[in-house]
Amino acid sequence: MSKPLLGLLLGASLGLIDGLSALWDAQTDPEVRAGIVGIVIGSTFKGLVVGLVTGLVAARFNSLPLGLATGIILGGLFAFLVAHMQGKYYLRITLPGAALGAIVGFATQQYGRLATHRQAA
Amino acid sequence: MTFLSDEQLRHLQQVTGHDLPEPERYRWIEQLGRGGMGTVHLAEDLPLERQVAIKVLHAHGADAAGTQRLLREARILAGLEHPGIVPIHDVGTLPDGRLFYVMQYVRGQRLDAFFTQEHTLGDRLTVFERICETVAFAHAAGVIHRDLKPANIMLGAFGEVRVLDWGIAKRLAESGDPSGALTTQSSAESEADSPTVTRATAAGTVVGTPGFMAPEQARGDLARVDERSDVFALGGVLYYLLTGRPPLTPEAFETLRAGGPLRIADVRQAAPHVPRALEAICGKALAAEPAGRYRSVAEMRCDVQQFRGGFAVSALREGPLDATARVLWKYRGFVLLVLAYILMRSLLLSWPA
Amino acid sequence: MFRDTDIGGSDGQFPPTQRTLLVLAGSDDPAQRRAAWDRLIAAYWKPVYKYLRLRCGCDNEQAKDLTQAFFARALEKDDLQRYEAGRAAFRTFLRACLDNFWRTQRTAAQRLKRGGGLLRQDFEQAERELTATPGHDDPEALFEQEWRRSLWEVGLQRLRDELRDAGAEAVLAVFEACDLADPNQRPTYAELAARFEIPETQVTNHLARARRRLRALLLGHLRELTGSPEEFADEAARLLGTAR
Repeated sequence: MSKPLLGLLLGASLGLIDGLSALWDAQTDPEVRAGIVGIVIGSTFKGLVVGLVTGLVAARFNSLPLGLATGIILGGLFAFLVAHMQGKYYLRITLPGAALGAIVGFATQQYGRLATHRQAA
Repeated sequence: MTFLSDEQLRHLQQVTGHDLPEPERYRWIEQLGRGGMGTVHLAEDLPLERQVAIKVLHAHGADAAGTQRLLREARILAGLEHPGIVPIHDVGTLPDGRLFYVMQYVRGQRLDAFFTQEHTLGDRLTVFERICETVAFAHAAGVIHRDLKPANIMLGAFGEVRVLDWGIAKRLAESGDPSGALTTQSSAESEADSPTVTRATAAGTVVGTPGFMAPEQARGDLARVDERSDVFALGGVLYYLLTGRPPLTPEAFETLRAGGPLRIADVRQAAPHVPRALEAICGKALAAEPAGRYRSVAEMRCDVQQFRGGFAVSALREGPLDATARVLWKYRGFVLLVLAYILMRSLLLSWPA
Repeated sequence: MFRDTDIGGSDGQFPPTQRTLLVLAGSDDPAQRRAAWDRLIAAYWKPVYKYLRLRCGCDNEQAKDLTQAFFARALEKDDLQRYEAGRAAFRTFLRACLDNFWRTQRTAAQRLKRGGGLLRQDFEQAERELTATPGHDDPEALFEQEWRRSLWEVGLQRLRDELRDAGAEAVLAVFEACDLADPNQRPTYAELAARFEIPETQVTNHLARARRRLRALLLGHLRELTGSPEEFADEAARLLGTAR
């Protein structure tokens, strides 16, 4: 699987799972319960975007440290923006977001297939 | 007057001691090695201004049979054009009538010297895969080497691997020919420490090197010598790369030759850190019966590649636990990151908001 | 084509009329006789001295005196005239003479007849070398080993003299750095090229030249010391390590 596609799929899947973890807070927080669909969709979309960008970086630069750094920074940044929109749960959203970014960054660098260059005719 | 130590004397004898007239266009530089069939000399190719290695028959072996043998070796080499096999440049006769052939001068270190240095398992397996590639190529061309061992493998400075000494190689199309020229001599050039054996037995002729020789070779059962005999020797080379010792001790070889059972110490007994899959690959290649070994060198190489890729190998039947452990180990980085995420998520969720 | 590298090649033929040192040592002309003896002694004094030290158990001073006495006696009695080329190598004959000489010296308890300064050799150097000289159970093998070493040393000295006279110090330097180096620290051709700031092909050229000359000088020296073409061929094979 190509690196951008792997990043996209993995990012979206992990984003979805991470979003679903908000169900836990929804039990105690009515505000979260009311907005759970938006949270899950937003988290999935965020994961998708982070995964795609990390995958594109991995396709361009074959470097595990760079992949990890990209994933952590992008994942953390996007998650922070989401937390900022809510105005709370900064730590609960930002830290896992960065961790998921790291997973996507690692996976795209390690397991994604490098695009083969066609020889010029 | 300078005192010459025995070592210095031996060296001077070696570099000046050839009793050979010079062929046209080449100039002797020094003797590189001496074997049963002939000597190998470093020489300069005068018109092309390059160094070459020249193999010359011994004066006492320069009869018609010896000449035919060397010529056959040269022809086998000429038919094997592969980066892992030393290319042959020329064949000719010395002014005294002795046949010689000219080949590329290979610089580098022998595999047994390579082992004494610090190298990772990955490096060793990379080298082994390249050796397999070369031997598999020769097999595809219908030639079996019959004397594979670390002393016959050279490593270049840039990781190139060269399989040397095809002096007792055999074309698969040829018959066993126990009395034939091909099987009655060896031409190992370099190995004072592990000499190639040429010994008549009741059934045929023993050719090869004790520590790495397949049982059918050791017993002189030439009719059964085929690609799988090279598979056995390659198993021996892998064993050596993993443990630093040949699979067969001199005693084990003598037992084998006398018709006794094959006795090889377990790889992990000699080197406990070696993964079980590699031990199994070694064990399969070193099976006493050819039918129990890999059918081809390519198959063996494929198993080594499978191991390196973290996949199951055909030599080891693994249970569900082993398979799970292998997969977890293969994806260990990813697994660790996921575990870290789950732990972090759990902690944060259990933390009061 | 460098025919001087061949044993018995066209340039290495043993002319039937050549008067070797063995013949000249019995010459009636005292100057010729003395010159021949000097060269014979130069080739054989060290094997004789070391043989007496290692094989006969003589101490330093005793071996020194006996070496002098042995050659003085051989010169005086013209022992070499008893040598018959073809029966045995001259080296073997000389060793048998030495054994005989040692026996008479020991059993007759007669006083040594000293050489009276016949030899002006460096016995101290030979004594120092003894520590690096392996012993041998077989007397013939011991004497041969030291004979071989002595001839190579003489050959090496002649090579040095010749290359210096020819102004080929560079050739000599490369040769010494490579072929006389500690066997465990012998430099590669590439290292030699870097050290002497010459191309690698030049290194091999220098080495080939020096080795070829060393071989020629060695065989030339041996030719003087042997009595027949057969003996020469046989001894050359031993000297060069090509004997089978």
